Amino acid sequence: MTTLEQKPARAEGRKDPWSQMLEKVGKHQDRQAYHALFEHFGPQIKYYAMANGLASHAEELVQEVFVSIWRRSCLYDWRKAAASTWIFTIARNQRIDMLRKMKRTSAEMQVETEDLWQIPGENEDEPVTSLHRLMSERRIRESLSHLPEEQITVIAKVYMENKSHQMVADELDIPLGTVKSRVRLALNKLKVILQDQNV
Amino acid sequence: MTRHHPDSLTLMEYSAGNLTEPHALCIRLHLDQCSHCRSRVDTLDSLGAVMMEHQPKVDVSESMFDSILSRIDSDTGENEVVTRVINGMSPLQKLLGEDLDTLPWKRQLGDVSVLDISERFPGQSEQVVLQKLAAGGKAPAHTHRGEETTIVLQGAFADQKGVFNQWDCVVLNDSDEHKAVAVGCEDCITLSVLSAPVKLTGTFTRMLNPFIR
Repeated sequence: MTTLEQKPARAEGRKDPWSQMLEKVGKHQDRQAYHALFEHFGPQIKYYAMANGLASHAEELVQEVFVSIWRRSCLYDWRKAAASTWIFTIARNQRIDMLRKMKRTSAEMQVETEDLWQIPGENEDEPVTSLHRLMSERRIRESLSHLPEEQITVIAKVYMENKSHQMVADELDIPLGTVKSRVRLALNKLKVILQDQNV
Repeated sequence: MTRHHPDSLTLMEYSAGNLTEPHALCIRLHLDQCSHCRSRVDTLDSLGAVMMEHQPKVDVSESMFDSILSRIDSDTGENEVVTRVINGMSPLQKLLGEDLDTLPWKRQLGDVSVLDISERFPGQSEQVVLQKLAAGGKAPAHTHRGEETTIVLQGAFADQKGVFNQWDCVVLNDSDEHKAVAVGCEDCITLSVLSAPVKLTGTFTRMLNPFIR
């Protein structure tokens, strides 16, 4: 963590309150901060579980996510991800893990959930990209309000209800190509598509 | 150097956690080696976080927080999560071991060997196939149905669309004419996920994609 001490000044002001809380949990096992995170993100994660068909296991998922947040918090680096992004990926991974475990025994699973879904490089030090990452979350939050409802609906179904583009097309009774073009338009406006071509 | 990347829509399905396990493995292996795509997925994860924030909230009880606290209080000193992250093997090593060359390859036509590993992903309908094209070897042309995602694990191959190097991702469908040649001095090994329902009746050569079309 030496680079943290070397270059805190510029980006310090960008650290949002939730990232500060999460950092306190990671560094000092601060239970007050942990409780604040629970109050803020717990209701979001419970809805997430209910939206994607885990209604009867919603509280269980919230618990698994928070236990995982506690155990992983020492790996959290606010320069690499805002707390909300970091917690979203944990919620996603725990949801996948819960569904896998419901379907089969652990002996059948040669590859762990994290092997497939945890983005590599949690320990690598790439401070140059951090500013870009933190800004991207802020930018997305700001520009989401300018998107047409039909684009937000499609993205919400993909992220919250975990429907594939094909399933979204079937449900909304529109062609797959329309779903894809709505997603592309949205990602373009959100500047998620930086370079889709070869680099 | 990686030059062929998954498209943003696929990365979005990855970020949302909606891909099947073998398909997710292809993307994960690419991300392992491609900081460009890691950064794209980071941004997409942020989109997921913002979407979650925009949804309704459902009350959670204080008693739930108490049970969470008792869970973490019963943690022993050893933090398994952290140990696993630090000492983790690559998913490919876990799945296939250290050496791709010593796998029980099945020799097919000419320069092509295959290994079907679909059973490593129980409950998935997709076919998952490793393919090896001997260094300098040519794969005979063949027809193809459905869509297939392929990642190059070793060596490189070339076809009409270009040269595909290690960790490049390529999606092929039935409109693609495909005649692959292994380039360089290494055998070319790929991992392919065939999403369309596949019928193997009669001909075994269906398994030989993407080398054989």
